[in-house]
Amino acid sequence: MSFIIRRIMFYLVAFLVAATINFLLPRLMPGNPIDIMFANAGNSLPPEAKKALAETFGFVERPLIEEYFIYLKSVFSWDFGVSIKKYPLTVMDVLMQALPWTLFLAGTSVILAFCIGSLLGIYAAWKRGGSFDSVISPSALAVQSVPALVIGITTLYIFGLVLEVLPTSYAYDPSIDPGFTWEYLSSVFYHALMPIGTLAFVSIGGYLITMRNNMIGQLGEEHVVMGHAKGLSDKRVRYNYAARNALLPSMTAFALSLGSVMGGSLIIEIVFNYPGLGNILFQGIIARDYPLIQGQLIIMTLAMLTANLLIDFIYIFLDPRLRKA
Amino acid sequence: MRRSMILSAVTAALMAGTSVAQAEDVILTAVPHQTTAFAEVYNPFNQTSDVRSVRDFMFEQLVVFNRLQGGKPEYRLAESFEYSDDLTSVTFKIRDGVKWSDGETLDANDVYFTFNLIKEHPALDTRALWEKIDSVELIDDSHVKVNYKEASTGLIFDVARIHTVPEHVWAEIEDPVSFTNPNPVGSGPLTEIRRFTPQEYVQCRNPHYFQADDLDIDCMRFPQIATNDQTLTAAAKGELDWFGSFLPDIEKTYVAKDPENHKYWFPGGSLVIFNLNMNASEEGNKEAFSDVNFRRAFSMAMDRQAMVDIAGYGYPTINQYPSGLGRGYHAWNNPEADAQYGQYTEYNIEGAMALLEEAGYKDADGDGFIDTPSGKPIKFDLIVPNGWTDWVNTVQLAVEGLNEAGVNASVSTPEAAAWTQQLLDGSYQGAINALVVGVTPHMAFDTFHSSKAMASRFSVTGYTNDELDKLLDSFFKTAEESEQREIMNEIQMILSKDMPHIPVFNNPYWYQYNTARFEGFFSAENDYAVPTVHDGNPERILHLLSIKPKS
Repeated sequence: MSFIIRRIMFYLVAFLVAATINFLLPRLMPGNPIDIMFANAGNSLPPEAKKALAETFGFVERPLIEEYFIYLKSVFSWDFGVSIKKYPLTVMDVLMQALPWTLFLAGTSVILAFCIGSLLGIYAAWKRGGSFDSVISPSALAVQSVPALVIGITTLYIFGLVLEVLPTSYAYDPSIDPGFTWEYLSSVFYHALMPIGTLAFVSIGGYLITMRNNMIGQLGEEHVVMGHAKGLSDKRVRYNYAARNALLPSMTAFALSLGSVMGGSLIIEIVFNYPGLGNILFQGIIARDYPLIQGQLIIMTLAMLTANLLIDFIYIFLDPRLRKA
Repeated sequence: MRRSMILSAVTAALMAGTSVAQAEDVILTAVPHQTTAFAEVYNPFNQTSDVRSVRDFMFEQLVVFNRLQGGKPEYRLAESFEYSDDLTSVTFKIRDGVKWSDGETLDANDVYFTFNLIKEHPALDTRALWEKIDSVELIDDSHVKVNYKEASTGLIFDVARIHTVPEHVWAEIEDPVSFTNPNPVGSGPLTEIRRFTPQEYVQCRNPHYFQADDLDIDCMRFPQIATNDQTLTAAAKGELDWFGSFLPDIEKTYVAKDPENHKYWFPGGSLVIFNLNMNASEEGNKEAFSDVNFRRAFSMAMDRQAMVDIAGYGYPTINQYPSGLGRGYHAWNNPEADAQYGQYTEYNIEGAMALLEEAGYKDADGDGFIDTPSGKPIKFDLIVPNGWTDWVNTVQLAVEGLNEAGVNASVSTPEAAAWTQQLLDGSYQGAINALVVGVTPHMAFDTFHSSKAMASRFSVTGYTNDELDKLLDSFFKTAEESEQREIMNEIQMILSKDMPHIPVFNNPYWYQYNTARFEGFFSAENDYAVPTVHDGNPERILHLLSIKPKS
């Protein structure tokens, strides 16, 4: 039990530290939102109007420390204020518009990559040295080292521009009204094919290699030898004896990427003009939209920490030694 | 079964843009703004909204001054205006019989109300009108008088640009600053939002539009597009009718896809200049930048033609006016300034070196680069926002010329926000910058007025001149054109002589169009007004009214 309490305390502290960095980072960047907003207008804004605008956005001249506590309060009351770039929408409105798309896009691709990558890894390890293994493992390494941007642009060019079989942009056909209709859902699915495919494709390699290596380690263990000796079927030994144990490190990687899903997949979202969180964060940074940046980073932090916490609990379940600790 | 579903989705996606509304409606597709998602904000005072079809198209201005026609007034909600004899006030006569889109009458009361609304809420006064106007009087139902703090014939360009809002709606709004105006009642041609999603919206005809006879478009469709690349993809497929975006190698990437209909026109717009910070913190730089001979040599090291042709794909308009006037204002040109100082805007490296040598610049410390006459090193960065590729290449060319002339300059590419910040706080050394052009050349030149110094990113050189201040002040104190011309001649002489900034070219107004479905677009042959669809171009209303479906 004390393990759980210790972990929770640890995450609380980690959250506070992250929240503090989150507060400081945007303020360390040069430039400020009001100046940027008017930098390209032909007229110079008089100080009064500038001040009035700043106040509507919630920027009141205050000592940093005071601002910090106001910020902490807003974090714990889950109210991030209004977005500057999308004024008068609140930060929550803006983020909630993008969140479902990001969850769908990145979530699906992470799960896909994990399942496919792990299964292939198991198989490659089982038949290690075979023709399957000697093709798939080096190619996995190769794919893994190609940046998502390159693969994204290449698929966009081939399927979107040359063959014209897949849409190059949008989360669904703009002429369809969103609703629970087959037309809408199929359009969403169809528009997600390329971005999800690309995202899954680039991360399959990582899971495959991790799984394969763990699996090979497991296959030399005595309990696997004993499984064979008992005359169990190959399938049983492969999945219940070896893969189950080999899965542990992969689970950690999986949980971490589930956490980082909330950050959105900036590059893929930009390449395919997908309305996700990564795109929003990027636009927010350009406009120095502090409230938006902070809101998004807090959500990312929370997601990451929650994913870690969950993994800790799952470990307790999977690894009996921890229960006694 | 499933296969046919996917196929039908494919077809639907390919045909996106044709099936939006009823077939008989005439729908013009335009991209006034790049964004990642639309959100419903129809407040004409909002500067940040991604919905950039509210000003002008939903809320009209009083008068639009046509920049390409020498500032000719195009009357919109106002039918005429008249100055008092001492030029300290202007009275607008509001058009008779204008109605709001809900059928209520639009008259001087609404205009009067709007002026007071932005006075009461300074955050709405984004053109800083109440800095310069003293009061507003309601004369009767069709006349509003605006009293200035001092005589001016130039202030009207800002005053007449106010977007009048309906008093019967806005009077009850508690906080007009954060008001999203969800059910807009407007005066412009397109006030009805037929359809809205974050990826696309359609804005349709105002049932009570005062100029309905001239409006041949029923709706405008605005697809969400986030980048220039996506614009190009959509444009090449012929999905866009009216847009304006940087397209690399436009002849090949856009025009060639349909040479009959894919067209563009890039009239010269904002003035691109090099700023040298005369208050630079390094002594050597400061000494050099404050010396007109150095600035002239800098200017002679600029290969302007290469900047236009190579860095700008030939899109910009070269600017060799020593004052920076620009071809768009050639009618104002003072030939004497060209005759006397024109040599300093000709690309001439030897000339630049000779000029520097003559002024006492030489390599004192033997590092291969010249130092100031007093022996201090000159070494500076020219900053340019990263990712603004045409500008980055321009600066690259500038640096090559400068290095050749023996000046130790280099390129630095901070992020756009940091570039703005360095200009504003005066911590930059040298920079490429652009000045917004107004109805007359006065707007760009007025950035040198001492009262403007360091107030915006346009006035950052630290150069001031009392004589110039007086001339700039007097320009709008008269309504006589001949007098204004004389003043402008003198202003050009001063700026040409002192060369406080180094003009290189005029950025194009980004404008592309597609004549497959529509005609009547402005073009080099039909150059009636600034043709861009972007918010901030008041003349776009004139353009919309001239576009017609192809018969």
